[in-house]
This record gives sequence, C-alpha cells and structure tokens, in this order.
Amino acid sequence: MKKIIAMLLAMAMLMCMLPAMADSAIDTSEHVKIVYLVTGDKPTNRTDEILGKINEILTEKINAELEFRWIEWTDWQTQYNLALATQSGDIDLIGTATDWLDAWPNCQKGAFLALSEDMLKTYAPKTWESVSEAHWDLCKYNGEIYLMPEDNYAQWTNHGFMYRQDWAREAGLENGVHSWADLAVYFQYVKDNKEDVIPWDANGNGSSYSPQMAGGWQVSHTGNIAIEGFPVPIFYGESKENPYTLSRYYLEGDELVNFAKEMKKWADAGYWRADVLNYTGDVAGEMEEGKTAAHQHHTQTWTGERTTMERKQPGSDLGFFWFGEEMNNLIALNITHGAMAVAAQSKHPERALMVYDLMRNDPEIYHLMQYGIEGEMYTVDENGLFSRPEGFEDSTDGVSFNFWWGRNDNLEYKNAQLDWDAIDALYAKYDEVKIDYPYGQYIYDNSMVGVFMDNLSNVYNTYMPRIVFGMNDDPEALVAEFRQALQDAGIEMVMTEIQNQLDAVYAK
Amino acid sequence: MYCLQKTVTPPQKKYVKPSLGRTLGQNKALILMCLPAILFFFVFSYLPMPGAYIAFTNFQYNKGIFASPFVGLKNFEFLFISGQLGLLLRNTILYNIAFIVLGNVVQLAFAILLNEVGSKIYKKTAQSIMFLPYFISDVLVSLLVYNLINYDYGFISNLVRSLGGTMPKVYQDANAWPFIIVLVNLWKSTGYGTVVYFAAITGMDSSMMEAAQIDGANAWQRIRFITLPTLKPTVVILFLFAIGGILKGNFGLFYNLVGNNSMLFKTTDIIETYVYRSMMNSFNFSQSSAVGLFQSVVGFFIVLGANAFVKHLDPDYALF
Repeated sequence: MKKIIAMLLAMAMLMCMLPAMADSAIDTSEHVKIVYLVTGDKPTNRTDEILGKINEILTEKINAELEFRWIEWTDWQTQYNLALATQSGDIDLIGTATDWLDAWPNCQKGAFLALSEDMLKTYAPKTWESVSEAHWDLCKYNGEIYLMPEDNYAQWTNHGFMYRQDWAREAGLENGVHSWADLAVYFQYVKDNKEDVIPWDANGNGSSYSPQMAGGWQVSHTGNIAIEGFPVPIFYGESKENPYTLSRYYLEGDELVNFAKEMKKWADAGYWRADVLNYTGDVAGEMEEGKTAAHQHHTQTWTGERTTMERKQPGSDLGFFWFGEEMNNLIALNITHGAMAVAAQSKHPERALMVYDLMRNDPEIYHLMQYGIEGEMYTVDENGLFSRPEGFEDSTDGVSFNFWWGRNDNLEYKNAQLDWDAIDALYAKYDEVKIDYPYGQYIYDNSMVGVFMDNLSNVYNTYMPRIVFGMNDDPEALVAEFRQALQDAGIEMVMTEIQNQLDAVYAK
Repeated sequence: MYCLQKTVTPPQKKYVKPSLGRTLGQNKALILMCLPAILFFFVFSYLPMPGAYIAFTNFQYNKGIFASPFVGLKNFEFLFISGQLGLLLRNTILYNIAFIVLGNVVQLAFAILLNEVGSKIYKKTAQSIMFLPYFISDVLVSLLVYNLINYDYGFISNLVRSLGGTMPKVYQDANAWPFIIVLVNLWKSTGYGTVVYFAAITGMDSSMMEAAQIDGANAWQRIRFITLPTLKPTVVILFLFAIGGILKGNFGLFYNLVGNNSMLFKTTDIIETYVYRSMMNSFNFSQSSAVGLFQSVVGFFIVLGANAFVKHLDPDYALF
C-alpha cells in the first residue's frame, strides 16, 4: 500500500512539473495576429509592403503577425480613448504616452494589462534588461508595471517659436531671438517691412495653443515646472529648488497679467489675424511658402522644418526660440512621453510582448520599420548617417509605422539630411541647463475632485484663448475675471487635494 | 337611407377584442413591410437602453458597464454645480424653438410655392438645388462661413470695404451669432423639410382641388382653405417629433461654426458644446452619458406633455 501511495505521490509531482517544463519553452504553435493601435493617418506609402516583409520575419521567429489599427488625426483624442474603452480583445498592443495620450487616466480606468516581472522577463527579455529599475518604477501604478517606456531615445519636445534668422538679422537681432521681447521686435519688423506676410498666422481654432503659449510665457518668466497628466494644464510646481509645492501663478501675481497685456498689444499690432480664434490654416505650410514668419511648435519639429525651409526658402536659416530660455528653465522629456502598453482584453498578451520585444530590439525588423528596405529606400554611410535616394517622397515612397513607443538609439540612424551642427549646438545648450522631470513618480488621482476639474476645464477653455490671443478690451480685467471664475469653480479645493497627493508621494 | 339603417340595426353583439395572434395574422403583409423599421429601432434604440446604466457608474474599461461600481447620481452633479446650466438651457431651448418654428414655416412656405409652380422641370431642379446644402458637412459649412465673413480677408468684408463701408468684426461680436446660426441652419435644412411637406401635398386628394377650382376659388383661397388644413396633421406630427429633442443641440453645427472662440459663448454655448469643452480632456463616459440621459428624460416628458396638450385640443392629431 505504501508503495502505491509513494508511486501516486511521485506521479502527482511529475504531473505538477509538466506544465512548468512546457513553460520554459514558449508555446508558439498557434499562429496569432497581434493588433497594434497607433495614432496617425493611414499611410499611403509603402508601409503595407514593408509590413508584409516584417510579418514574414515575425511568423518565422514567433509565429505571429502584426496588424495596424490606425487612430486618424481627425478627432484623435476622442477616437483613441473610445478605442481603448470599447476594446473587446480586438487590440493587443497600444501605443500610449503619459503626457499627450492619457496613459494614466486610461490605466486607472482599466484599459491596460498589468505586466508582471515574470511576464516581461519571459516574453520581452531584451526590453526588460535594457530598461533600468528606476525607469520601470516610473511605469508603475499601484505597484504594478503597465507601460514599457521609450527611455533610450534622445529627443526634445519642448515648445517655442521657429523664426527666420535672415529676417531677424535684418531686424537688427544679430544673435537671433532669445526672449519674448526679441520676438516682439521680430514680429514688428515683419509687419512693417514684409508685405503680405502675417508675422504669425496662428490657427487659433484648436485648443492646444492655450497651454503652449500661456505655459511658454510662464516658464520664461518664472521657475515654475509643469506637472503632467492633469485635465487642465494649470498645475505647476514652484521651482526646481522647491518642486513639490504648487505654484499659485494662475491665481495671483503679476506675470499672468503682464502676459495678457503683452498679447493684447500683439493682437492690436496685427501679429496675427483678427479672427485668429476661428482660423484653421496650416501654419507650417504657410511659413514654407513665405506667407508667415513664425511657427510655434517643439524642438523635434524644428529639426526637420529647418531642412525643409532651407529648401523652400533658401537662406531662411530657421532658428528656434525655446520657451524658458530667459530663465534657463528646461525640463528633460519624461521617459513615458512614449510607451507601449498591452490591452487589458488582449487574448494573446504573451505574444504581444514578444512582438514588441522584436520591434524594439531586433535590428532587421527595426530598420525595416523605421527606414524601409536598405539600398532601395535608404543608404547608410560610414558615419552611420542615413540618406534617402534622389526624389524620395515620404508620402509615397516612405514607410510609416509611427513607432513612437520604443525607439531605440542603439539601432537608430541619424538623418544625413538634417543640419546636425545646428541641432547639436541647441542640444548642447539644452544639456547644460536641463533638469530631470521631477514628478515621474506622481500619478494624479481624479476620483476626489473630478467634478470640479471638469468645471475648471470649462473655465480655462473659456478664458485662456482670449488671453493668449489678446481678444479683449481690458486684459487686466479679463485676468481678474478668469481668476474669479477659477475660484468659483473650486480651484482652492482642487489645489489642496493635489498638494495632498503630491505630499503623499514626495514628503520625506 | 336613414330609415333603413335604423330599422336594420342588428341585435347588440358583445364586442370581442381580437387576440394579438389574430391581429398579427390579419395584417401579415403590413407587418412584414414594417419589419425593417422595427428591427432598426430594436437594434439601435431598444437594445442599447440598458447601457444608460453607465450614467450611474464609475465606468471601468476592464469590468464593463454592469460590473463597474455604482455611484448613484454623482455623475449628474457636475452639470448642476457648474452654475452654467441656466445659460445653457436658455441657449439650447431658444435655438431649438427658432429652428423648429422658423424651419417649419419656411419649409411649409416653400413646399406650397413649389406646388403652385406649373413647370415640372423647374420644380424638380429647384427641389434638388434646395436639397444640396443638407449634404454639406458642418466642417465645410464653417469654412464657407469663415471665408465669407472673416474680418481680414472675408468675401463679404472685402465687398463691404470696396463699397466704402466698415466691416464689423463678426467673430468678436456675440450678438451677431444667433442670426448667423439660425440662418445657416435654415439654409441647410429647408430643402429637406420642404420635400417632406411637398410629399404630403402631392398625396392630397386632387378632386378637392379640382372641385375648389370649379367653384372659383383663387390660388390664395385654395392654399388657405384646402392645402393648409390638409397639412395640419403632418405639421403637428413633425412638431411633436421635433420637440422631444428640444434640449439637444446640433453639436456639429455649433462646434464647427464657433469652435473655441469663447468671445461668442454667451450666445452660442449649448449643452453639447459645454459638455465637450469640460470633458474633452478628462474623457469621462459616465458623466457625458449622464448629461445625455438628462436631456432624453426631460425631452421625453416634454413630448408627453405636448402630446397631451394636442390630444386635449384635437384627439385625432395626437401621436398616441
């Protein structure tokens, strides 16, 4: 009898071990399709053809293939959040971001799958190793990892104004534009001397100028640091010396009033059109045609635009005045400005991780995805710079995976067509003054004051466009009205709550 | 006749309501014809109804609507504590009244005028051209309007200036917009509504018209005493349909025409645009559904009320 029991026990133990053994070699016998949710317009270039090639490799390596689900730029915020909310196993990989794609709110609403260390080690081993522990910590919510960050890719997305240095020199700004005051001189010169050129033909119909311009003035005149992830962009830390105390910039003090007054002056001087708030033009396109003299966007855009402008407006020597320059107030990009997540309802989370690991780390797939077919669509010179063949048009000949969620500098080629002397000079300046984003550990919890936040959002979107574009008779009175409306909407209560949340994370 | 009827009245028989099965059986063909519409409303209007429960939850994507935590009326709070509800209700309702009343009057007028026109070719062409704006998207409409009236380069602005006048800055003047929006809405919807009324007129018994003509009634009298009274049920039904949506605004139209131009909000902000502006960043399904439910429930009671009122005046015209 004892023998039988012993044998049964031994067998039971063996049985227990079987699945464990099967685990060590990953089962990829079933061919699966991994759907990748990505923002961008459905490409009309050679993307599908390249995807076919990549799928051959993926099928061979892990018996999976990749499929796109595009969130087109029309109404993208709504479409994106809707796709996440209505997922039913139809998406697997989700490109996301904590600053511009609501990664944390979506995470709190249950859109993403928690990724255990075991899962990452087993199915995305290269990614797991390449991301440091400190960086993984920034991807955690309630102690679980939800995001795989794009933390090995150098880029700058701080905003500012692109302007023509040839015209700036004509305007007497020998060293270019380095302050808002310089910018006013530049605009006035253009207004007075360049016929049919609108100094800055802003398309103020969208909602993005408000935080960019108001925040731009703010970081240029104070040491305030923007905290990301709020539905209303009015929450800033006091300074780099005192980052965890909320700034009261929007509630009191003169700087916001100064901003409103200055913009009112600019509006009256005609630096933009009178109906700017309803105008929906393409500013970059107008600048390339020489119809406007400035374009407000970020550094990364400038690096490409400088080359384009040199081609379309030779000698324009496009410069970049970055917000914060006067105060040397610059925050390095948060590593979750781009990140990949796995959909909560994904039926094949393991294989999705495997696909991502290859996209991010496999040189062959990475180069296909980012540049296309070597020799035919691009060449790489001995310095590791890539060039496109003569007459190459990205919109028809290129490849667009919009893979902004795991770019990898180890595998990137620099673009030979960009002006690296100018870019490196600016980056060197940035590196001198930048500080790391101080709020990586903090995730705003909307559950306590969400109702008030929605009303603040309305107040902000009602007043800020009028302040930013000087659409008012009395800027001082308008700011006072804005501040009163913030008070009425419960700003103090919200500030107290956020301060408490910050203290809970950072108070020593 | 009268006498005959009186005498032949059959002995009183107890009225038996036919069973449902029997009614269905007797009207097979009719029901078959209704089936697509019945299916449509079942699938798109009745099936999703339980989903309105989302307005009472803190919706979690991974749990689904019915497993998400119940929060009672919390999602309705935001509309009421905003302090904007009065203004929003005023704008939404006034615009809708303007749309419904003016819209129907103009459509009716056009339909009658079209009917009086003799030339068939003219009738058809006019109808088609009037119908066209209905298909133009609000995005394009907003661009058209912008390019007509913007201060710096607008067509009308240039025209006014070339004639020596001064163009007002329309995009900075809230008072101008009720007129512009109503006008644009009329331009867009008149063709469509006209066709509905026109169809009703065409369906009229022509013998009445002929009889009136023989009796010497002029065009105006025919319209006044035959066409208009015949159209009354159609007008009442369309009115009852429209009034249910009196708290709902046409988001596409308002948002595209006004956008984020807050200088115009005083006269152009409706419930939809306000909800959009408040929640475009926080993306809260539950709260937006709560607003939608609020609009629907209020609309429902308004329809009930209006229908009861119509029934009181003339039971034949009521919807139910």
